[in-house]
Amino acid sequence: MVHALSEIRRVLMPDGILMDLRPLAEHWRVEVASLREVKRTGHVTDLPEQTNGDVAANEAMHELERLGWFRREQEELFPYIYSWDTPSEMEEFVSDDWQDFIDLDDETKRATRAAWAVADADSRVRIRMNVWIASWRKQLSQAEHTR
Amino acid sequence: MSLQRDPDRNEIRLLRKYVEIKDKRVLEVGCGEGRLTWQYVNETQTTLAVDLDRDALRVARADCPSAFVDKVHFVCADSIRLPFAKEKFDIAVLAWSL
Repeated sequence: MVHALSEIRRVLMPDGILMDLRPLAEHWRVEVASLREVKRTGHVTDLPEQTNGDVAANEAMHELERLGWFRREQEELFPYIYSWDTPSEMEEFVSDDWQDFIDLDDETKRATRAAWAVADADSRVRIRMNVWIASWRKQLSQAEHTR
Repeated sequence: MSLQRDPDRNEIRLLRKYVEIKDKRVLEVGCGEGRLTWQYVNETQTTLAVDLDRDALRVARADCPSAFVDKVHFVCADSIRLPFAKEKFDIAVLAWSL
């Protein structure tokens, strides 16, 4: 990971900016939402590949800071919603596309189906992810400064 | 499939809040099918969008609106060996790829 970040640094201008955007595993909420209300029905289960990946990425960015390659300027978490028409579509997507990263337990599936069955006609099923955004400014080493 | 992603457009709103994209040379690493690329590419001077997934890049190239073809170039490459000897970028975007 640090090798890739080193490559990116190589092709950045001296004052260039690196933007890091990525979802962070934090037991994302599962909801049934309409214009009138949002009902929380459970949460996803984070799998090791996702949580270990987060740890490795955070360590890589800290290493860049320690090496003096980049300086962190701003950061925050923001909500990023995936939504589907029905609970079964959500379950299918999670099992097909995110099977290595998250899981849905039986209680969350049951509660989501139950809430959706009695929800408003415009209701959708959704997973509220937390996405991390951070900006990093490239720093020059002494040797690079003197070139 | 009725999937919707980021209906509130938080991702592009935050990206714009954090960095001035207009007329900049942008490198996007892990562009996939261009999910994020399409949302900002028109403002940039040029964008080089990199991914290792040839199938995803094929989709991105096929989906590229004609108005953007001179702005964006999709490159199949590994981020640990970027095939740019002379090109320099103002901004690099890691799009869910770290």
